[in-house]
Amino acid sequence: MRSVPVDFKIAWRNVWRNPRRSILTVCAIAFACTLLVFMLSWQFGSYQTMINAAVKINTGHLQVQAEGYNEKRSIRLVVPEPSLVAALLDRIPRVAGYTFRGNAFSLISSKERTYGGLVVGIDPSREAKVSTLVRIIRQGDYLSPDDTDQALIGAILAENLRVGIGDEVVLLGQGRDGSVAATVVHVKGIFSSGMDELDRSSIRIPLRYFQSTYAMGEAVHEVVVLGQSLTHVENIKREVEAGLGNLRKTDHLVVLDWMELLPGLVQSIQMDLVSGFIFYLILIVVVAFSILNTFLMVVFERTREFGVLLAVGTSPGRLTKLLLLESSTIAFLGMIIGVIAGSLVTLYFQTHGILISGATEILRQFGLPERMFPRLSALSIMIGTGIVLFITLLTALYPALKVRRLHPVKAMTSG
Amino acid sequence: MQRKCLFFLSLALCIYSNVFAQDGQGIVEGSFDYIRGRTSISLVDMTVHRPDWERVFSIRGWTEGQDKSLIRIIAPAKDNGNATLKIGREMWIYNPKVNRVIKIPPSMMSQSWMGSDFSNNDLAKSDSLLKDYSHSIVGEEMHEGKKIYLIKSVPIPHAPVIWGMQRLKIREDHIFLEQEFYDEDLKPVKKLSGLQIQMMGGKLFPKVWKMQKSDAKEEYTLLEYREILFDEELPERLFSLSSLKSLKR
Repeated sequence: MRSVPVDFKIAWRNVWRNPRRSILTVCAIAFACTLLVFMLSWQFGSYQTMINAAVKINTGHLQVQAEGYNEKRSIRLVVPEPSLVAALLDRIPRVAGYTFRGNAFSLISSKERTYGGLVVGIDPSREAKVSTLVRIIRQGDYLSPDDTDQALIGAILAENLRVGIGDEVVLLGQGRDGSVAATVVHVKGIFSSGMDELDRSSIRIPLRYFQSTYAMGEAVHEVVVLGQSLTHVENIKREVEAGLGNLRKTDHLVVLDWMELLPGLVQSIQMDLVSGFIFYLILIVVVAFSILNTFLMVVFERTREFGVLLAVGTSPGRLTKLLLLESSTIAFLGMIIGVIAGSLVTLYFQTHGILISGATEILRQFGLPERMFPRLSALSIMIGTGIVLFITLLTALYPALKVRRLHPVKAMTSG
Repeated sequence: MQRKCLFFLSLALCIYSNVFAQDGQGIVEGSFDYIRGRTSISLVDMTVHRPDWERVFSIRGWTEGQDKSLIRIIAPAKDNGNATLKIGREMWIYNPKVNRVIKIPPSMMSQSWMGSDFSNNDLAKSDSLLKDYSHSIVGEEMHEGKKIYLIKSVPIPHAPVIWGMQRLKIREDHIFLEQEFYDEDLKPVKKLSGLQIQMMGGKLFPKVWKMQKSDAKEEYTLLEYREILFDEELPERLFSLSSLKSLKR
């Protein structure tokens, strides 16, 4: 029992026998940990930003739709009585807001040009609580609750159609009853979300006007739900599903979360994670080799000393323990410094943000803001440092076990 | 002797004309000309059938040659006056409620026409089968005492086509029985069949046409000809944007 502190003392002193080498090794480990903590926090933070941005521009965290609507997009597949779903959502805590939408693929035509696009009926006041639409109006005004033949139009579509505020736009599509749906609307506002697809192909009109134009009655296509945060999505989904199951009239409805609504976003996150992990793996391998080098040097340099220790009766087991203690001291020192430095760097950027000037096209598609914020979490601290520690100790095992095979006399005469 | 000679001559001519008719291109062209006539005026009921609903339109149609047609919905009342004009491979639609003529942009040509199983392209590129495909006879069948040619139509290289292949069934008296559309992976997509062949407008004509999706039995569109007149003189300016708007017949 008393030997443990003694071993520690010996290990500690051994670490500082060659301070420059030890400090260098500590620095290598600390650097790897700092980098990993920061990079992982950065990745997790940017995913959260991406998801929240994408979700708030259009899809919401969850949507209630008729079964099959997400794939077929047929105007016939509707949520017939949205008020029933609304009553259900009102009872669920952690729901930050919800809104109704109707969608119809139509010809959108100005005096000069015609494009195909999505006509979306929105509830102006509810929509404002769920999506960022009201904040991304670049010209003109947002819809007010009693507007009728007014429309908000995507910036690229407006440019393509060559229309400005107040101009007429003809919508021509097919109603829910199969009849021809046609109407003239006036551009009230032009929005730019940064997501090209949305800005190029969509026009928004008041939901009531949409319902009468497209013969929808009271029905809608999507009930868009925003939770208070991303972490609540799973619970809300479960509760909505349970609630829908209890209502007889809503049994053909399904609840889709953002991962099902935005499979492209999920894929790009996965791709980014994989490429990140390849980079980390390379980093860790480089660090591991530098540590292996240090530990091997220790054994080669001190073969004679180990020979003496063995000769005076130290058991090989204790020798191994000593060496492992020595290397773990270095590893833990590096790790602690790394975690502190990494957390400080991350916290700094978490409050100040990082400006990405040349945001890539892919990121822009998901409506990402220019400034990104890393996000420090227990997970982002633990994953990187955990792997570094594991690899370091694994590396240290080799020289520590090598010591056991030393023969006292041979060791004393060598080097 | 002379008689015998004449007999052989006519037999030879017969065989010759038969060989001539057996050329796939000729059969398809013959059938097209037969069905469309020089001009045609028709009254058609179009039924769009889906598993959970059905809608019937009444349509007046005028065609001239292979590339001009004008179609106007007359019922139900809600849609009365909606019209489509097709000249060559361009299409315009007119809606009386907004009183506008809209040219269908190329990006929308693959969309369904009036919610039916016909796409805009099916109408606009109806002559594509003649111009962009080469036809070969792959078999023959007998049906009610008449010979039916089975024709396989593959796109001419670099032609701007929609379908990877089409299979046709054309009766020897030019009557179009079946046209099956295949995508570029040569999987069947939909099938147009001519049914209830009877005398209409002075010739045998399929009274009912059915466009059926290959993967959905309950999704089809029926065209039932109530009247059809061939080779009438049509007003010269009928196929124009102004008559698309002002059509009152």
